[in-house]
Amino acid sequence: MNATQKKLDHSIFDADIHGQAMNFQYLKRIMAWVKPHALLVCTSILLVVLASLLAVFLPVIITRVAIDTIILDTPDALMPDFGMNSVNEWLMHLTGFEGIVTVCILYGVTTIACHGLYHLHRVTFAKTVLFALRDMRLDLFSHMEHRPSSFYDKVAVGRVMTRITNDVQALFELLMGVGMLIGEFVPFFLALALMLTIDVELTGYLLLSIPIFGVITYFFRLATRKVYRQIRNTVSQLNQNLQENLSGMQVVQLSNREERNLQVYSDINEKNSKQEVHAIQLETGYGAFMDNMVNLALAVIIWVGGSAVLSDAITLGSVILFTQFIDMFIRPIRVLGMQYNILFRAMASAERIFQALDWHEQIREPKTPVRLPGRVKGKLEFKNLTFGYDDNQPVLKDVSFNVKPGEKLAIVGPTGSGKSTLIRLLGRFYDFSDDRIFLDGHDLNSIHSTEVRRRIGVVMQDFHIFSGSILENIVLGNQSITRAAAISAAKSVNAHEFIEALPDGYDTELVERGQNLSQGQRQLLAFARVLASDPEILILDEATASIDTETEQLIQEALEHLMQGRTSILIAHRLQTIETADRVLVLKDGKVKELGTHQELMALRGVYYTLTQLQFQDVSS
Amino acid sequence: MKVLLRLTPYIKQHIWAFSFGLFGLLGARIFEALIPLYVKMGIDNIMAAQSANETGDILSPESIAIAQATLVYPALAICACVVAQMVVTIISRILIRRIGIYAAFDIRNQLYGHMQRQGPAFFAKFSIGDLMARAINDVSLIRQFLAGTTRLTSVLVFTAVVGLGFMFSLSAQLALIVILPLPVISVVAWIYSKHIYKQSHIVQEGFSRLSTFVQENLNGIRTVQAMAQEQDEVRRFGMVNDEFAQHNQTLFITNSALSAWMPILAATATLIILGYGSHLVTTGEITLGTFAAFFSYLALLLWPVREAGAMVTQWQRGASGTQRVFEVLDYEPEIRDYASEDSANPEFPELTGKVSVRHLYYQYVDKNKYALEDINFDVEPGETIAILGRVGSGKSTLLRLFVRLIDPVKGDILLDGHPINGFPLDFLRHQVCLVLQDPFLFADSLGDNIAYDRPDRDVSDIWESADAAALRETIENFPEGLQTILGERGVTLSGGQKQRTALARGLVRMTPLLILDDCFSAVDTETEEHILSGLKSVRQNLTTLLVSHRVSTARHADRIIVLDEGKIVEMGSHQALLESNGFYADLEKAQRVKGGMLDQIESDEAKI
Repeated sequence: MNATQKKLDHSIFDADIHGQAMNFQYLKRIMAWVKPHALLVCTSILLVVLASLLAVFLPVIITRVAIDTIILDTPDALMPDFGMNSVNEWLMHLTGFEGIVTVCILYGVTTIACHGLYHLHRVTFAKTVLFALRDMRLDLFSHMEHRPSSFYDKVAVGRVMTRITNDVQALFELLMGVGMLIGEFVPFFLALALMLTIDVELTGYLLLSIPIFGVITYFFRLATRKVYRQIRNTVSQLNQNLQENLSGMQVVQLSNREERNLQVYSDINEKNSKQEVHAIQLETGYGAFMDNMVNLALAVIIWVGGSAVLSDAITLGSVILFTQFIDMFIRPIRVLGMQYNILFRAMASAERIFQALDWHEQIREPKTPVRLPGRVKGKLEFKNLTFGYDDNQPVLKDVSFNVKPGEKLAIVGPTGSGKSTLIRLLGRFYDFSDDRIFLDGHDLNSIHSTEVRRRIGVVMQDFHIFSGSILENIVLGNQSITRAAAISAAKSVNAHEFIEALPDGYDTELVERGQNLSQGQRQLLAFARVLASDPEILILDEATASIDTETEQLIQEALEHLMQGRTSILIAHRLQTIETADRVLVLKDGKVKELGTHQELMALRGVYYTLTQLQFQDVSS
Repeated sequence: MKVLLRLTPYIKQHIWAFSFGLFGLLGARIFEALIPLYVKMGIDNIMAAQSANETGDILSPESIAIAQATLVYPALAICACVVAQMVVTIISRILIRRIGIYAAFDIRNQLYGHMQRQGPAFFAKFSIGDLMARAINDVSLIRQFLAGTTRLTSVLVFTAVVGLGFMFSLSAQLALIVILPLPVISVVAWIYSKHIYKQSHIVQEGFSRLSTFVQENLNGIRTVQAMAQEQDEVRRFGMVNDEFAQHNQTLFITNSALSAWMPILAATATLIILGYGSHLVTTGEITLGTFAAFFSYLALLLWPVREAGAMVTQWQRGASGTQRVFEVLDYEPEIRDYASEDSANPEFPELTGKVSVRHLYYQYVDKNKYALEDINFDVEPGETIAILGRVGSGKSTLLRLFVRLIDPVKGDILLDGHPINGFPLDFLRHQVCLVLQDPFLFADSLGDNIAYDRPDRDVSDIWESADAAALRETIENFPEGLQTILGERGVTLSGGQKQRTALARGLVRMTPLLILDDCFSAVDTETEEHILSGLKSVRQNLTTLLVSHRVSTARHADRIIVLDEGKIVEMGSHQALLESNGFYADLEKAQRVKGGMLDQIESDEAKI
């Protein structure tokens, strides 16, 4: 263990992060995943610029070309037409059709081109974002997959999970929002540029609306932030209460607690309703104001612009153009207001994601790992091993013993004696000092952890079943194990019979945590899993759960088969298991108390003798 | 769709707010429609002043001021319309949206209360996750429907009617042609929105697959690492992840295509006005003003036409949410509380704990064999009876019948001579306490968990039961004592500690009949011994039934009932049964040889 790892503070994973401010550092880091798609992003932006330009032409074609020029025949030179009249004349010349026909064609083609380009823009942008975040999520998952047990001991799985799922999803919303803003702001700047060329003063008045909008949004945010937090709180209380009540329903009913619990739930429910009403009051007010920004701007244009026309400062045509562009001008500001919440939520998510990605805690791997032969003999040596999860509290103290190749060693001892820790060290789940544990004479720390785990098969007490078929649970992703090999492993550990009895045999889908299997069946399945992977050394932490006598017999038989030809270390809870072992090691308070065969230890009349005596005494009394 | 009618009571409660809100929203549209008129008036006024300008060279400052004054009216009128529209909209929207919140409140409470009256058949049909989803997602669908969909629909219909009305009044001829492409737009929008709805469903499922994968993987991270399968898991995750991205992409393309098609299709209507309309203008059938007005009415009409499809989907979503909620609310509780349902609620005295079981049969719905068959026995007040048998022999089923978690197929359980389904359910469960094998504890304090049935119990009672359940030391080891919070945010107890807490929860109630369902399985034998021997003095004159598959537990009882395959095979005292050399004696022998666990050794050894 090195000193830097000692200082890790895992509690940061539990902290509530709200995302208080814009952090460009995060955006910059996110760009690392976007970069491979840079070409796509540029294309997308080019497309939206083109589409927006076309969008500006559409109203011009109707008003200037169709109505003023063709129908009324009063082309007003004061009104800009962006050359659309010339285009139409060219079209008339080219096709020989009447003006009204060509203007229809012009309008139709421009509409299709404009919205086609918008479509391509949205699709390319979405594709970029989706694939960038897909890669980010995979990197994040892979990163978390390689964090050691010492990490997962301290950080709840849920905390890691939400980072991989929901937080990446929040970034998705953020980036799509950015895309939407680009789509909105290109027309904004086009409109702004046009308006500035027409009249600076009037544009200046309209630009004043932005700070007003900013202030109002700021206060709205201030007011809603608190309410939203309260709502989040009561909603999660409601869900927790409901979930707990449903899970413990029998206890609730047996304790006649129904009325009282409904009251508690109803109280939270009422609090939630009041907050929701408060929130919609704020939202509705703000929303109505934002919706009417355009109309208020219209009033300004009529008043200020109209006066300017009268004093000949600008032309009437310009004022009319202003009224047409005002929507392009105001819309992005409204959209920005809507994106505000997403932005802050995404900042918090980014912080959580990078927190996880920056967490580099890992098992120490050798620089030049020892290459083990195809098959190791399975000799294990422990030399003065001392280990503790915290520096000042050693769990194992000066432990030394040897296990010969093919030997079966049972370890017994009270809870907290260090048995499980010993197993975890053998599986290289934690770092420990060099030259303490040796496999076939090699220091365990000089072998790569993956290699160690391939050679040492561990059957844990609370072993995990993944949802998927029985077969998948035996093979567990190891493609070198064929179906036939898996079935043969299952047969060897007495699991074949119950598996065949299941509706779809080996293809029966198991639900999470294997709730459709009994304790004993799960144990047998775990045996099959480890046997299929064929490790040279077997470590077994025997399950303590009570299993009926018949299954117990099957398990004992399977165990004997499993141990055949393998160096085995058994953490035993049952006397019968101990009796199958060659030697017994008694561990207490992290120290080796006794070591020898069952007979030797009985003759010793020490700790082991007392243990077994108590066992027999109890049942026969 | 018909199921939506069931929501009427929730609207009826607030019928005034609802009608007022809808009416207000329509009024607000009128104010909004006035705004373009005033914009036009402003421009006309400028034009008028300008044409006056053309006669003279330049306007005198006075006449500019007069002309400017003509702009005050339209500008102020726009502001007035905006304000009026805002005020009316805000009030009406709040009125309507509140109804959604109130309905959600009522439905949540109803669901909660209803689920609390359900038995095992209900919970077998609906998983907890499913019920949660209905109580959360489907209730919010209903809320959206009541507060959003109804409002939007009426505004849309109103807008469409107004737009069409104006068009037809101006020129029926042009109007008829202009509306031709509109149904096409609606149909395209509808088809797309159905597609999008389906696709977003697939994306949702993809996301939950992704979440499930991550959750399972992380829960089993030690297994994955122990089997050195990290790379393979990353590969498998990559597949799920990629699939999710692909589905998402499809959704976005569909979505974007809809956004592109709508304005393109709408352009055909514009082109009709342009082409046919201008023809009508030249033939003099319509005026230029009518021609111009058609463009703005078309804009008015397009919005509801485009949204029509989405509206259909919204109604469908509302209907499916409603249907899923009422499926739960319509489920009749399988355990009927006959006595409480009768208006004359009879009073019963405290029971003595005398039990008679008469020809009791039970059969699970999905099995073709009786789980319990012709069970008969009597228990005198104050007796302790152990029920022993293998896994699946029917022990737990028998116990559940006593508290009416399930009802028998045939036969009766009598307490003090009364059949138990004649008692009001809450009375029965006040008198009979069942401690389950799986010790469910709430994320609450230790003390509140023990006094779960009545949180106002004396602390001394709680300690007394904690003593009886050998829990005092455990509690005292926590600095917070009885106030120690359990669960995710608090302390995690060991399996044995949990069971003992659940036991204390049962003991504290001192019911005339206490039933313990194998609640020592995670408690070490010595502690169990200690608890069982104390139990007799704690529960003097009170009846206790306890289930176990350990002989060491059973021998503490006055009498032992041995169940096998749903039938009573032996009954008698420990000694008598050993001497009869039957099933019980065999079991005792088998457990003595191999069944014993070293767990108790560990606790004993700790004292050596």
